[in-house]
Amino acid sequence: MTGTPVERARLRSDVAVAARILPMNWPIDTFIAVNPAAGFEDRSFGTAVADIGEQLGARGLPERSLFRAAYAANRITDVDLAAALGRRYPDTVGGPPIHLGPRRSDGSPLWVDPTDLLLADLQLATAAAPPTRRTLMLSERIAPTVADSVDAHTAHWCAAFLDTGQAGWPMPSGETGFFQAWRDLAPRDPRLPTTSRRRIRALPADSDAAALTALTDLGIPPDQHRSYLQAHLSRLPGWAAHVRWRAEHTVGIDLVDYLAMRLVYESTLLAEHTDAHRDGYVHETARPGAVPGWPSEGQRARDAAAALGADTVPVDDLGRAGATLATMPPADRDLVWLEAYEFHYRDRLLRSLPVVTSGETGPLRRPAAQLICCIDARSEGLRRHLESRGQYETFGFAGFFAVAIRYQDLAGGAAADLCPVLIAPRNSITEQPMAGTEDRAARLVAGRRALAGTQDAFHAAKNDMTAPFALAETAGWIAGPVAAAKTLTAGRYGTLRDRFRRRVAPDAPTTLNVLVGVAPEERALLAEAALQMMGLTHRFARIIVLCGHGSTTENNPFQAALDCGACGGHRGAPNARTAAAILNGTDVRDHLNRQGINVPADSWFVAAEHDTALDRVTVLDRHLIPSQYHAEIDDLVADLAAAGGSLAAERAATLPGAPPLPTPEAATAHVRGRSTDWAQVFPEWGLAGNAAFIIGPRSMSAGTDLGRRTFLHSYDADVDTDDTALETIMTAPLVVAQWINSQYYFSTVDPEVFGAGSKTIHNVVGGIGVLSGHNGDLQLGLPWQSIGNGDTLIHEPLRLFTLVQAPLERIERIIHRNTVLQHLFNHDWVALAARTTSDSAWQRYTPDGWQPWTTPEVSPT
Amino acid sequence: MSRDQLAKMTKIEVVVTGATAPAVRDLFRAAGAAGFTSMTGVSGLGHHGYHQGRLLFNEQATLEMLITVVPDDKVDAVIAGLRPLLTSSSGVMFLSETYVSRPEYFA
Repeated sequence: MTGTPVERARLRSDVAVAARILPMNWPIDTFIAVNPAAGFEDRSFGTAVADIGEQLGARGLPERSLFRAAYAANRITDVDLAAALGRRYPDTVGGPPIHLGPRRSDGSPLWVDPTDLLLADLQLATAAAPPTRRTLMLSERIAPTVADSVDAHTAHWCAAFLDTGQAGWPMPSGETGFFQAWRDLAPRDPRLPTTSRRRIRALPADSDAAALTALTDLGIPPDQHRSYLQAHLSRLPGWAAHVRWRAEHTVGIDLVDYLAMRLVYESTLLAEHTDAHRDGYVHETARPGAVPGWPSEGQRARDAAAALGADTVPVDDLGRAGATLATMPPADRDLVWLEAYEFHYRDRLLRSLPVVTSGETGPLRRPAAQLICCIDARSEGLRRHLESRGQYETFGFAGFFAVAIRYQDLAGGAAADLCPVLIAPRNSITEQPMAGTEDRAARLVAGRRALAGTQDAFHAAKNDMTAPFALAETAGWIAGPVAAAKTLTAGRYGTLRDRFRRRVAPDAPTTLNVLVGVAPEERALLAEAALQMMGLTHRFARIIVLCGHGSTTENNPFQAALDCGACGGHRGAPNARTAAAILNGTDVRDHLNRQGINVPADSWFVAAEHDTALDRVTVLDRHLIPSQYHAEIDDLVADLAAAGGSLAAERAATLPGAPPLPTPEAATAHVRGRSTDWAQVFPEWGLAGNAAFIIGPRSMSAGTDLGRRTFLHSYDADVDTDDTALETIMTAPLVVAQWINSQYYFSTVDPEVFGAGSKTIHNVVGGIGVLSGHNGDLQLGLPWQSIGNGDTLIHEPLRLFTLVQAPLERIERIIHRNTVLQHLFNHDWVALAARTTSDSAWQRYTPDGWQPWTTPEVSPT
Repeated sequence: MSRDQLAKMTKIEVVVTGATAPAVRDLFRAAGAAGFTSMTGVSGLGHHGYHQGRLLFNEQATLEMLITVVPDDKVDAVIAGLRPLLTSSSGVMFLSETYVSRPEYFA
């Protein structure tokens, strides 16, 4: 056996630690937004940016050109820059004025505030060099073509093994696991030299031993294994990140298998490569000292003084100015720009919120209905437009509505996990026919299977070796006109197709087996926890709508990115239906009453789903709603349709190709056409623009147009007597929101490494992800069409800003006992501002205590 | 039954975050441990302060305790793998003598 047990265990450990630079890359059909830099959250954001550059070769900050353009457009002002400087360097900014010699203009003494000197330096600073990976594979240094070849082979075998059914032929021997299958097949690969094939054939049977052998052959000493493994992982982070996900969720492959294959390829191909001179090779892992190219403090001082109007600066003054600038290292200047960019948004957000006097109660009349939406930023638009229509109250809650379910629909396909990936499903829920409607349900299932079978047969025939000819003969006459209709009249085609589908598989009333799937005591606790968390414990309306969400788009591999993240990248209707069934249960109502949550007997919970591509809300399970509510439901549906129309008109203003200033009716028709257009790369903007997370009562933000940029979680500190609700919100919905925010941030600042490039050249591979073009790395994040249009950026890369209305000491207590929150807030991955009550001043959280939220004054220059 | 009739082995207890737990489980398996016990949502006071126990909707951020029992010839491999993991992330490891009545279950 190659490698002692100790060496093999250490290898496993080295792989696990090295892999922390990678995110988890979920399969694309359950696209989960994650922070692709989550492995760096144990250090400050600034340090992480440097490490991301060195280890992944990726940008962690927007390019300077973005800041320059924002400054020119007054999106960043001197006030914003001064605020950022004041927070980062309070001692320097608060220091005495600095003398810079005589003015160039009139010779009078020139005194400047330290802030002005720093501002001048920020304006003059040249952009940092693009980041480059510093820990490289041996072949990258001595024979780059070998490194490219290792990558090509890696992508080839990963695509073959990791396929989930897209390929016509599965990988032979795949059932034996990745490493064994590769070891069986690679010696037959004609692209490899004969000696390489022979060496692969002679490999040890297990990947641990093969990896250790290859590392020895490459001459990598054991104390450098970890960084060397990292060099391999960072070459194709997309494939490696997906293998990391596979290893934790299925069997057959892990990162040791993946790395063993890469290391073997590298060692065998290098052995063949006559140009590879490894003499004197030293595997470099040390971070270099000063980055070459930055100007000295003296030079910076001279340049800044000249920009401020100084003539000749005396040496002593130059020294003092240089010392002031030294507090802001050159590498930090882009961080200051980012913080200014963020301050501008955050300060305006705080100023835009309504002033509500503490003790002021909401409307005394019982609301016509209450709508509980997902915290998703897109819900804010729907809520705002619905509230503007009358006596409606809205709430925000994670869209899985506290029910973590494994769901199987009536058709009985593969079950889906509908819950945040932070937790495992806790209950199995199945859709069943309503009693007495079994015949209708059977017809629905048969119809759906017929439709799916036809589609499968069509695709199977397309992919077969010979059938395409017969397919063209038999179906070609209809395929062409259908393709033309889908392209030229997408909206009308979508309507006709929906009609056809309903005819083949007409709707049938169904219900969920909630009473069986969720134990009575669990139902009671879930209902109580959900209502407590959102502060909905009194003044219930007659109708309370639990509104999940999903997105209807066509020919869109990133469909799941537009569905509900809290439901694991699926539509949220089953969760809403489950939660409504639980909350309408008499046993649950009895429990709630005993806990002091008195839901009136005439209140009824209704499930609904908001389609964010169509701006349409559909009330679900209408057959389960008692007749006495039907008239009110009809009124609500009408108002939801009107609110949806207004929202569609609002959204259309930013959608490429949409009619300018459309009426709600025209906008509704337009977004419907987009959603069924198979060539549409901008079906909706998803969560582009997301920038803040508000935790508190709706009165904090009601009446304010938040631009669909904020996650909204309802919370009432008065009913959260033991911190449980706030702790749950901060450790789950907030964490998920930060993942989403970071996914958008990093996809924007480095579309090449953290994004997915342009949709127009995407190829879906293996049903697990997309490639840009026909080969290369599996793409990690969001496509460019989710964040920008042409050269125009739609998403502003801002870190998440969290606002909480709760006692400050409560928030501190919660942060203190949760490491995940300490990382986010103390390391500047998320900013936090809070106030105890609605009429308290906003306070800014810092690891050293709360600071008042202030806006600096800047002297005119 | 006295202790002399039992087989002496080593018990290894590890407390790590839920995110690191899969790596520890993988390591146990790779080092030849026949099995392990895990307890999620453990709480306590440590070098970095108090750690919250079970969270309602986050199983990754809470601490998990993993316990395995191995014969002497496998202890070094487990330790060799665990130490780098725990050096680079938060977590603790305890080793202690233990006695089992069915050593073949742990071999």
